Amino acid sequence: MKVALMSFAHTHALGYARLLAAMPDVELLTSDPDAATRPPGESGGATLAAELGVDYVDTYDELLAWGPDAVVVCSENTRHRAHVEAAAAAGAAVLCEKPLATSVADAEAMVAACATAGVPLMVAFPVRFSPAFADLREQHRAGTIGKVHAITGTNNGQVPAARAWFTDPDLAGGGAMTDHTVHLADLVDALLDGVPAVRVHATANNLLHPDAAVETAGIVTVTYADGTNLTIDCSWSRPASHSIWGGLTMSVVSDAGLIDVDPFAPSVSGWSETAANELALGYGPNLDESLLATFLSAVRTGATPQPDGHVGIRTTAIVEAAYRSWRERRVVEVNPAGRPAAATA
Amino acid sequence: MTTVGIIGAGGISGVHIAGWLQLGVDVVVHSMAGAPELVARHGGQVAASLHDLLARCDVVDICTPTYTHRALVEAAAAAGRDVICEKPFALTVEDTEAMIAACAAAGVGLYPAHVVRFFPEHAVVHDAVERGTLGTLAVQRYDRQGGMPVAPWFLDEELSGGIIMDLMIHDIDFARWNAGPVASLRAVRSVPDGSGTVAAQVVLTHASGSVSSIGGVWSARPVAFRTRFEVAGTGGVLRYDSATNPATWVNGAVVGADGYAPKAAIGESPYLTELREFLTAFQGGPQPRVTAADGLQAVRLADAARRSLTLGEAVTVPAEQPADQPTELEEAR
Repeated sequence: MKVALMSFAHTHALGYARLLAAMPDVELLTSDPDAATRPPGESGGATLAAELGVDYVDTYDELLAWGPDAVVVCSENTRHRAHVEAAAAAGAAVLCEKPLATSVADAEAMVAACATAGVPLMVAFPVRFSPAFADLREQHRAGTIGKVHAITGTNNGQVPAARAWFTDPDLAGGGAMTDHTVHLADLVDALLDGVPAVRVHATANNLLHPDAAVETAGIVTVTYADGTNLTIDCSWSRPASHSIWGGLTMSVVSDAGLIDVDPFAPSVSGWSETAANELALGYGPNLDESLLATFLSAVRTGATPQPDGHVGIRTTAIVEAAYRSWRERRVVEVNPAGRPAAATA
Repeated sequence: MTTVGIIGAGGISGVHIAGWLQLGVDVVVHSMAGAPELVARHGGQVAASLHDLLARCDVVDICTPTYTHRALVEAAAAAGRDVICEKPFALTVEDTEAMIAACAAAGVGLYPAHVVRFFPEHAVVHDAVERGTLGTLAVQRYDRQGGMPVAPWFLDEELSGGIIMDLMIHDIDFARWNAGPVASLRAVRSVPDGSGTVAAQVVLTHASGSVSSIGGVWSARPVAFRTRFEVAGTGGVLRYDSATNPATWVNGAVVGADGYAPKAAIGESPYLTELREFLTAFQGGPQPRVTAADGLQAVRLADAARRSLTLGEAVTVPAEQPADQPTELEEAR
């Protein structure tokens, strides 16, 4: 199978490239033409491809002319739409880095473009492949935990330092609320089986990084159509000197009691004398590997991989509403409200 | 010798009476029910009536349900006694202001028992915030989870104010203590159903721009009580989880009549620390770490959160009066 990787802008691209390069039945070709526009010192382009040991071409035209079966889009958030549309037009199945888009209009256009081209669109939400979350979801479906009354989640991390575009509103679409609301929004979308979000409240600040042009801390509350409330701490509140990037946790209040899921908890911890910092050796499964396996298997079988573009629209709608709420200092309705779960089928 | 008059004989009275007796004061108790049993368990004496209690004590410690606080504080003030009142002060801002005014007019002290400020893990974090260890605070997160309260009045919104007013007011007060006045807030709560489980979430935006997320749960399942928090600022981050911080961890149990259970793993009871600080203040010592003004502001915020629930909307909180200036209330009376 021919897989193309568009852009090394998102640092997740490096992990995907390594995993794809190691797959015996995958031919990988990469391109990162926007590397030249990055600030000095940021990796990218042919140099990074050589370091990763993957094949490289200079332009996206060459990349798509190669005739890939599948394309992985890892560009800056606001460039996702153009790249997904180009990949779809070239007839390739698409896996797009999260968030799918920075506006509902873009997300809907991308879903429409892939539908028109007859190619599947998947969004890179790896956390839903965590065994801990998958188990929770399965048990909820089976009725073992009864009703879900409320959920709180945290997705904290360091301010992304390897790439300046994360804090450039033109390229990222926003800051921590854009980057760290969608993982939990995706998990709850999966847990509640697509019950739509109807109302959102958000508050945010950039006190941790006053020079940043985007918000670096935020709290987003989502109310779903079934009355479930989800509050997400999406802050980039992990200090830069911390040895661990961050993490994601989800606390569920259910009829069965209180259930806490921490997909990144499995780790052996200690101290590094050389780094003069905490040492944590995570031994959980590589979630990116499960994500890619699901995507590539769907490309082979023609199935619709989940989380699909409709999940991308719903999660984007929550973030869009969060910014509207923060700006207008009030609770806002989610647009589009009431998109039925059946639309994902 | 100081005499403390405890009003009420419920759960919190048992904790307070143990603290008072450890502090070496005399205790009299008056309650509509349970006073003889409480005294039999701990010590002290039973007062024949509220009138008798007020006549016999120097300090009144009100440990009754919230809806009774105002009348009892006013009675204690009228009798010229210093007052400690269990949190929340009252169900409404109006009642709380009346209580403060009554004590001010009578020239007696009044302190709210916001005991969380005295819990050692909370106290060390606030000290670190005060020392500047965390720099400028940006985001705080609190969770407080436990089983449903046993006494039925807690579950009656009209009598207790519900989970936000009764339980989450602890963390609302603590978040404000760390990050300063609150400019606006929003609250949501789970849809009531047959299960009885209640879960609420309150988000505060402080005047500084700092944000706080507070979660509270009364679970219908018998769950272990748990608190946890994370406080993050420009200088670093502090986090705590009661579930992962036991000084003694027991696997297996029960040898002997009552069974082994660790009882004093963290040293002095925070309730004792709290009562000592209030008593010292009444005796002319320094102002305690929580004042009547803090208790009033906590009620204002919890009340605003309840309004937010009703309105389904974010609620703006009026700017706080500077603490060192007389309040409008004091000037008006």
